[in-house]
Amino acid sequence: MSNSVFSVISRFVEEYRSSTPNKLKMIDAYLLYILLTGVFQFLYCVLVGTFPFNSFLSGFISCVGSFILAVCLRIQINPQNKRDFLTVSPERAFADFLFAHTVLHLVVVNFVG
Amino acid sequence: MAHLCLFSLLVLSLVLETQALTPTHHLTTTDVARLQTLLSQPFTDLKSAYYSVVGLSKLGISVADAAETCRFIKSNLDPSSVESLFFAAEASQALPGCEIPVSNDTRDLLLATVSEDSTASQIHQSVSALSSLGLPLASQEVVSALKARISKEDNVLTIILALQTASRLSQQAELGEILEEIEDLAARLDDLGGVYLQFEEGLEATALFVSAAYALSDHVDMEPPLKEDQVIQLVNSIFSKKSWDSLSEAFSVASAAESLSNNRFHVPVIVSAQGPAAISHSQPFLRLQVTNVLCKPLSSASVLVESATATSSKSAILSQAPFTLRDGVFELNFMASQPASGYYQFSVAIAGDSRFVANHVELKVKVSTRVSINNMDLSVVDKDQSIGPKTTRVEYPAKAKASFMADSHQIFAMTFQLVDETTGVELTPHQTFVRLHNQKTGQEVVFVAEPDSKNLYKFELDTTERKTEFDSISGTYALYLMVGDATLENPILWNVADVVLKFLDEEAPSTIQAKTLYTPKPEIQHLFREPEKKPPTVVSNAFTALVLSPFLLLLILWFKLGANISNFTLSPSTVLFHIGHAAMLGLMYVYWTHLNMFQTLKYLAIIGSFTFLAGNRMLAQKAVKRIAAEQSSRLAKYRSLR
Repeated sequence: MSNSVFSVISRFVEEYRSSTPNKLKMIDAYLLYILLTGVFQFLYCVLVGTFPFNSFLSGFISCVGSFILAVCLRIQINPQNKRDFLTVSPERAFADFLFAHTVLHLVVVNFVG
Repeated sequence: MAHLCLFSLLVLSLVLETQALTPTHHLTTTDVARLQTLLSQPFTDLKSAYYSVVGLSKLGISVADAAETCRFIKSNLDPSSVESLFFAAEASQALPGCEIPVSNDTRDLLLATVSEDSTASQIHQSVSALSSLGLPLASQEVVSALKARISKEDNVLTIILALQTASRLSQQAELGEILEEIEDLAARLDDLGGVYLQFEEGLEATALFVSAAYALSDHVDMEPPLKEDQVIQLVNSIFSKKSWDSLSEAFSVASAAESLSNNRFHVPVIVSAQGPAAISHSQPFLRLQVTNVLCKPLSSASVLVESATATSSKSAILSQAPFTLRDGVFELNFMASQPASGYYQFSVAIAGDSRFVANHVELKVKVSTRVSINNMDLSVVDKDQSIGPKTTRVEYPAKAKASFMADSHQIFAMTFQLVDETTGVELTPHQTFVRLHNQKTGQEVVFVAEPDSKNLYKFELDTTERKTEFDSISGTYALYLMVGDATLENPILWNVADVVLKFLDEEAPSTIQAKTLYTPKPEIQHLFREPEKKPPTVVSNAFTALVLSPFLLLLILWFKLGANISNFTLSPSTVLFHIGHAAMLGLMYVYWTHLNMFQTLKYLAIIGSFTFLAGNRMLAQKAVKRIAAEQSSRLAKYRSLR
């Protein structure tokens, strides 16, 4: 059982390394960064306590929101999805990404206290 | 006799209940006397003479000086005025031996007034004058004139006058339609709370309606269409006012009272107890006054107690017992039935005349008694029961000779019985208190003595248990027994004995401190919410570093992936875009530290629109470049394939 899981994973990693364009890999790295930041915030909350709760929420939501927006950008930029996003050019996707981030950060900074 | 009715109004409201409607308001003798005084005022003109003379005759009182009055009427008579003739004729009718001279002109004038064109009041006055002066009149003409008048003016007073007029006409005339007006008019009465029934035009109109309706009903010998409850409500309305503003109002009340006392169909009965409805051995008779609305006793009535039940046990004591009439008052020896003390509900019926209205009355009667205290035993019992109790018997109203000592090892006990003096039946009055009064300090403590199942009263005082009531102040206390109840004639306050109480942990004997109720209380300090416990700075710093660490990871990964800024064109839009974007990030930081949302939005709008324009330009240029690159690569691929 574990053998098949290991082989699936190694194959997946190999595929990923070879066939994913660089741009997408960069976005994936960014996604990993966001994920880790969120995890570490949550870890703090679990270990030390929820004071101050609003700051924790704001930071955590920021991570979650950024992750989602980055995933959206990745989907829209991916050339394999071009048929689904005919009206949306990669530049447009990036512009949307920036605008959404502005709004998100406005809310996050308001709430962080 | 004068004071007989005096209490009745007060007692009536306490005593009578409205199961079947009974009058809540009626005239007392003082009220009737007041009415009489008002009507006996010296009269100034013919109108007031009419009201006075006729009003007094309705009350059954004759004028003081009949001859003088007659002369006055004759001298003030104006034969050319119908109204004047009316007043004179009616007044002279009420005076014995007073005749008004009548001429042919007078008669013609009166007859001419009977027509459709005169007002109802004119028709009424002329018909009454003709009838009182003994002159002939054409009843049918009057009836048609009245009917025409009623159809033209449909107000209450017109119809009342029509009713009054019709009662003076010959019985052969067709009075049927006018008789029906009574019912229509009765429907116009306003019911106020189920107690009063009156016209919105006021008391005078209601009273005149009553006298007119009964006058006409008596005249044609047909019962008026008024129900018993309506009659009682009318009685309440008319007789609720005890002082009258004008002579005409007093006159209307007097005529209403007379018609309600003497008509052939409905005679309201007023029942009231003479004095308080309380019976005892010294006062064994229950006395009731049964009168009509003019406060005249109804001697022809026979008063019967249908049932008398005790309110507590609901057992019937009496059934169908008659009252005997003595000196105009109906009395019953209730004590002969030997009732126990308490309250009794009497249901009384007045019979003797089919005209009686409201002849079923409910009364609440109190039977009181005298109490005596038996077997008052005082003793001091040792708590551990090693020494037998020493009981001292005390007889009322003497005081025990020796005082009793009780300290923390002993209990002071008191037992007694309360019995009815005459019957010896055990009683449980509402108030049986034991009061201990310290003469020196003025302190007073009151306890309740409870009866046990055998109705033996017990009181026990344990000095250790009751320490707090006494404030642990030892000393000599005078012991009083207080017995009281609504049905007891002799409430008791008896200084039974002196008790010396010794308390443990006695404080220095001091006078009772004034209660510290009104002195300033200690100030309350507000306790602000404690701030929450923060974790140590080391921990938070460590975690801050941990949270920021993935950024380093990101930079490393990007470097490894080969991220570069080689495509960075130094076109103005690119530069401006990046500056604008950096400014927005800086604004976020400033927002976090200094600004509020409104200011931030203002700045954001400015920087944002600038950044947007620059960014748009930059991205458009990039897009153009990308499309050009794609096209050229596609072209190259196409060429290579060929």
